[in-house]
Amino acid sequence: MQQDHFDVSYTEETAGTRLSFHCWPSSRLEATRCVAPMGALYTPLKKLPPTCAPPTALQYDPIRCSTATCHAVLNPYCQVDFRTKLWVCPFCLTRNHFPPHYAENISENNLPAELIPQFATCEYELPNVPPAGPPAFVFCIDTCAPVEELTELADSIQQILNLLPEDSLVGLITFGTNVQVHEIGFGGLPRRMSLEATRSMEQPRATTTKWYALSNKRMNPLDSSMTVESILDDLRKDPWPVPSDKRVARCTGCAMSVATSLLDLALPRSGARLMMFVGGPCTSGPGQIVNRLKTEDMRSHADISRNAEPLHKPACEFYARKKGSSTQAAANASATSAHVVDVFACSLDQVGMLEMAELVEATGGQMVLGDSFGQSVFKESLRRVFRTFEPDVPEDGGKMQMAFGATLEVLTSREFKVSGAIGPVTSLGKKGPNVSDLEVGKGGTNAWSLGGVDPETTVAIYFDISNPGVSVISLCMLVSIAYSLVSYSYITLLLYSILDVSTARGKRRFIQFLTKYQHANGRTRLRATTLCGPWYNPPPGEGEKRAPPQPGVNGYNGNMEQPSPVKMSFDQEAAAVLLARVAVDRTGSEDVADVLRWVDRSLIRLCSKFADYVPDDPNSFRLAPEFSLFPQFVFHLRRSQFLQLFNSSPDEAAENTTNSLVMIQPTLLSYSFNGPPQPALLDSQSVRPDTILLLDTFFHVVVFHGETCAAWREQRYHEQEEHAAFRDLLEAPQADAQTIMDNRFPVPRYIVCDQHKSEARFLMAKLNPSQTHNSEGGGGAQVFTDDVSLRVFMEHLMKLAVQS
Amino acid sequence: MSIVWDWFYGILASLGLYHKNAKILFLGLDNAGKTTLLHMLKDNRAVSAEPTLHPNTEELVVGQLKLKAFDLGGHETARRLWQDYTTTVDGVVFLVDAVDRQRLPEAKRELDNLLSSDELRGVPFLVLGNKIDLPNASSENELKYALGLQDMYGKDRDAFQYNDGYDACPIEVFMCSVVRRMGYKDAFDWLSQFLT
Repeated sequence: MQQDHFDVSYTEETAGTRLSFHCWPSSRLEATRCVAPMGALYTPLKKLPPTCAPPTALQYDPIRCSTATCHAVLNPYCQVDFRTKLWVCPFCLTRNHFPPHYAENISENNLPAELIPQFATCEYELPNVPPAGPPAFVFCIDTCAPVEELTELADSIQQILNLLPEDSLVGLITFGTNVQVHEIGFGGLPRRMSLEATRSMEQPRATTTKWYALSNKRMNPLDSSMTVESILDDLRKDPWPVPSDKRVARCTGCAMSVATSLLDLALPRSGARLMMFVGGPCTSGPGQIVNRLKTEDMRSHADISRNAEPLHKPACEFYARKKGSSTQAAANASATSAHVVDVFACSLDQVGMLEMAELVEATGGQMVLGDSFGQSVFKESLRRVFRTFEPDVPEDGGKMQMAFGATLEVLTSREFKVSGAIGPVTSLGKKGPNVSDLEVGKGGTNAWSLGGVDPETTVAIYFDISNPGVSVISLCMLVSIAYSLVSYSYITLLLYSILDVSTARGKRRFIQFLTKYQHANGRTRLRATTLCGPWYNPPPGEGEKRAPPQPGVNGYNGNMEQPSPVKMSFDQEAAAVLLARVAVDRTGSEDVADVLRWVDRSLIRLCSKFADYVPDDPNSFRLAPEFSLFPQFVFHLRRSQFLQLFNSSPDEAAENTTNSLVMIQPTLLSYSFNGPPQPALLDSQSVRPDTILLLDTFFHVVVFHGETCAAWREQRYHEQEEHAAFRDLLEAPQADAQTIMDNRFPVPRYIVCDQHKSEARFLMAKLNPSQTHNSEGGGGAQVFTDDVSLRVFMEHLMKLAVQS
Repeated sequence: MSIVWDWFYGILASLGLYHKNAKILFLGLDNAGKTTLLHMLKDNRAVSAEPTLHPNTEELVVGQLKLKAFDLGGHETARRLWQDYTTTVDGVVFLVDAVDRQRLPEAKRELDNLLSSDELRGVPFLVLGNKIDLPNASSENELKYALGLQDMYGKDRDAFQYNDGYDACPIEVFMCSVVRRMGYKDAFDWLSQFLT
């Protein structure tokens, strides 16, 4: 049961999952004391190596538990009786008969794929669900952008058309003052329908219905791509005049309304992406976020928190209704909508991403913010949406990686419940016995809709260990009764026997993730991942850590000598992301300052629980290797754009979702003549005149030349033959930056800068300010800030954590 | 009568009950210190900010003034956005990095563009030479010369009284260090007399 060397990345590679703790404390009380959330980061569509999952999808329906409330999928952790042809569901302990075709052949040596021990994940291609047909793409283009922007945009879309599978459907809508729906498959004659931006949402819907009846050629297979290309070539700026004291009229909301209705009517079931390309704020019709008059200002954080922005709420509601129309209409058909809304905003000012965020997230779409359609951030990100699997992948090779209409259901064994999920999810409101009252993120359900997913989509799921809540109470009662009767040592024995009964030693916990989605080939698939892990019963007294160790109690000798397996199984990276997601989720409903205080408190409690120290002596504070980086993660989380709204507009704040650790703690590599590149501390000490730094903050990749390096480059030393070493030094970080960018979505912004120059601030803002303009001497560079440094932060943490 | 009202508002203002409302813009080249100044005025804390992408809006109370301040990005592409914000502005704070001498001509060009625009005619301009805490920063005279601003409005109140009735565009240069909290207080006092 005890694993001394627990490899935290193992489950990520084998099952696409990371847990904050691998070994769980068996009581709710003890779990609360662990402070860090009990949770999992699950990547539903992660491509797994053939040693951990069948290489191709199984072409039959899964065997499911016969209990109506359970319906768990048969998995390798099920106990199988080969003689009586029975299997026991580990979740509800029901005994199930194998269906006849399984029962005939099954034996210890002849197992179906889903029972092979190492295949904890199995994917089924459900034969009974009819294929939904090829995916459709509707491009919705803002024509109010400047002409050069439009040309860049049209160029990018034309390239995308070449990447699409031959049978995909394509639709084209342009908008500005009005909305134009282009008719594509109509011979050589370009035809389009113009629709006035109206304030009512129902009207465009009704009108599209009529249009659709008129001709169903607005969305056409790609063979008429010539027509699309010629329309794109002729893309012109919105012709309506704009007075100098007014903003351009842009009816983004109306265009989206038209496009979603078109998709809902034409392809209610099959996968489709609505791609919005927006170059500015919506100024007319539904979804408007700012008045056309320039005297009116765009909303700010302050306006929104004061509810002083009259257009914000109606716009939010409008987009939320769009979400409703696409998910609810489909909910009746017992499946979530397979339509995804992406927003690509390329503008110097806000476009109303904040208002659209809910819709985009609910449909599992992508949000990309950039300055210009000419930027690689936009161009590459757009191309990455259409990524395909490597040609050598069996079955899926060359197919698009995107998937549609995904739902995720979580089954748990009986000792714990599901609190909620945070990520691109919408609750499906599915109540069950394993739904906890304690809600985290989107709670009150054990199933969520994800909408569009790709192999990188990751959902954080939080659990609530509810198990021996009951037995602890009964235990206390028993103890109080027993105490008056028998001697202390006997009680201890009694306690053990009771605990052993409630969660018997060796008893395991099970989680099953069931993800149903529509593959890009139109077929519906179900992926089942089953996880199994140990429980740990803390010996009594461990909860009261400061109490003197009781010698001789069942060989238990206090904490120092034998750390608990819970502590040993801590995954600080997963825990940091799980914590960050809760914090960011809370900023939606709470004051940011309160959230920061909560994060601080959590960190202090976690450290006073798991660190080794003598009470009231900060110098004795030590953290085990499993925890040593966690305070740093929290330090950088506090400084990150997720919890500091200053210098980020409401739109930028809406774009942020913590997906990975790199977002919280950027990575820094240092390149110098003194050897190969080395990871460097994210600290101003790392800035040296003769080194080059490579910073990866997820959204930005920065190559930073120290002043000496920059001066040499200005002198063009790298072009001289005798300074080939310097040329290599210059090129190495750029090549590595390229590798990072190739594997990232959305594509990060790439910045090459020199020390003391304007763009160097992309790096300087992220560094730990160990040197500021207020301190004197020391190496490295100064950061102009009053923020505290990591050292001061740690000193305070130690002081507070050891307080008794 | 107006004297009575002025006196009345003066009392309210001294009690902190009445603020003059004004909309001002923070403009200048990238890395001049616009966002840092805005944050300093808001929280009295220096932060190390990334280059600004979208305009920041903050509501500030400086003395008797209630300012709605817009901090716009300063890099070249972002400057296209400046004209969208100049329609109804009561004052412009133009920051210049006094250390980066190479880019003073570029700053001058942008400042000249702003000063010659129709929408900003008569709007008071406060030019702040920032970063004088650094050893090699240019002096006030050097900066004035580089920006072509030899004839200034005058920093004292008397000059303001004297010029009253003329249609001179108020513009003045102040040197400051935002991170050291030096110099910008006087500058905002000067600016506030033009904001009604």
